[in-house]
Amino acid sequence: MERSHQVATRESSSRDDAEKAQGANRLVIQVENATKIFQTPDQGRMIALERITLNVPYGEFVTVVGPSGCGKSTLLKLIAGLTPLSGGRILYQGSEVRGLNTKVGYVPQESKLFPWLTLEENVAFGLDSKRYSKQQREHQLRHFINLAGLTGFEKYYPAQLSGGMGKRASIIRALAYEPPVILMDEPFGPLDAQTRMVLQDELLKIWEQQRQTIIFVTHDLVEAVALADRVVVITHRPGRVKDVIQVPMQRPRNIFEIHRQEGFDEAYGRLWNIFRNELNIRNNSNG
Amino acid sequence: MAKEMSPERPRVGASSEDVAISETSSFFWKRSLWVTLLRTVIVAGFLLLWEIASGRWIEPFLISSPSRIFSSMMNSFQSGDLLQHTWVTFQEIAIGFPLGAISGIALGYWFGRSQLLAEIFEPIIMALNGIPRTALAPLFIVWLGIGIWSKVGVVFLLTFFLNFFNTYAGMRQMDQEYIDLARLMGASRWKLTFRVILPAISPYVFTGIRTSIPFSVIGAIVGEFIAATEGVGFFIRLSAGIFKTADVFVGIIVLMLMVIAMDKVADLIEKRVLQWQTHTEHVRIQG
Repeated sequence: MERSHQVATRESSSRDDAEKAQGANRLVIQVENATKIFQTPDQGRMIALERITLNVPYGEFVTVVGPSGCGKSTLLKLIAGLTPLSGGRILYQGSEVRGLNTKVGYVPQESKLFPWLTLEENVAFGLDSKRYSKQQREHQLRHFINLAGLTGFEKYYPAQLSGGMGKRASIIRALAYEPPVILMDEPFGPLDAQTRMVLQDELLKIWEQQRQTIIFVTHDLVEAVALADRVVVITHRPGRVKDVIQVPMQRPRNIFEIHRQEGFDEAYGRLWNIFRNELNIRNNSNG
Repeated sequence: MAKEMSPERPRVGASSEDVAISETSSFFWKRSLWVTLLRTVIVAGFLLLWEIASGRWIEPFLISSPSRIFSSMMNSFQSGDLLQHTWVTFQEIAIGFPLGAISGIALGYWFGRSQLLAEIFEPIIMALNGIPRTALAPLFIVWLGIGIWSKVGVVFLLTFFLNFFNTYAGMRQMDQEYIDLARLMGASRWKLTFRVILPAISPYVFTGIRTSIPFSVIGAIVGEFIAATEGVGFFIRLSAGIFKTADVFVGIIVLMLMVIAMDKVADLIEKRVLQWQTHTEHVRIQG
């Protein structure tokens, strides 16, 4: 616990500095004019993302919203280096990402826990024996499993866990080995509303402690505002950055009564305005 | 934190369904007793009919009889002849089967990992697969002589292709996201192979292994039919040639027991390795 507290203070102080200085050296991820073009089966070209520019400082919680199929997930895949860029570049700590970026953690849409490993083995997967001693491994494992409320289920296989538990395990698997940046691709998408809220709350609590940089993709506007420091709005095909909204709400936040919190209405209102315009434009072009 | 949340329960432990099953378990127990009883009656009836028909309605040299087969088996084992033949066939399989299975699995894995390799060799492998493989057995006799090595060759050939195709099929359907996740978490090549890919395709690998068990025995017998001085296949052919029908059946029973024993061993290993799966469904081809 002590260790993670240290991490928290260090990260949050660097965060304040980042806000004051606004220097480029404080940015952990820089996306510059990133473009992704897919080849369609009939030899056509589909522009998934066009000239996306996005700068993310250390310790920021950024959410990316947009209609489904706008290339949000593709953006995460580009940042992780899982798929090559068609144009532009992506920098990690100031140097260009070529190939896989193992400094980022990835939480996919479905939990994607390795079904042949127990919960414990799944969470420990990223805890490389070269970076962590046996005791450190044990400690990280206990700490995160406890944090996610999964103590007692260490030896269970993913098939024996409920959807929410699998989600938690999937998230702490990405957190446990402490990558500086975590990418989350609609992790709470398929869950019911209550479980979703509980998990959002837990995610924020864990994040308050760890203060890792998170880029979180979602199509849910409430979720986008509730979690984020900054919301990035991406338009439908071709995906472009339509707007970036600062969320002025204080932390720690109460997810369960997020509507009553100061600043929520303002941010949500601005966000909804953008989407309403989007919908209007499409209605006009259709009609 | 663990206390304040987790409203959901894991999908294990007693449920209403379990209660329902325990209430009706006496019914199932009675039912399974009936099934066993009926099965025994049918088998015993068949053997009895066979015993009666032999010598009365059908010539004994055509169908022999259970009592004759039993006494033949006792004699053959006591003289040590049959043990020697069984030992020879066992050796052929014990060498050819693991070699064929391991190289088939290895090549299937390799093809799955290398797009280029797969593109170059796939049509060639498909064409080779079109050959009825037992038709190649005489060639092996020419190449490797009439000792055990020609039979090892045929066993190898039959085992290899089945394992190769099943493993390759497993590689092709494998979820790329597991590989991506593992690599993002910094998995080494070794870890990726043995902790991720092989476990992921293990249901396919086991289907290959278990499908190829009866075929490996077929391989050995076909080889021995063509040219041999020892082995169960040789024993069967020799006995049939001099109308010792009872001995033919003795040979067949030995082969049957061999396949059952091998399958049992594979089943035990599979249950251990695949315990993370709730259950496996096998598509097994009998030849």
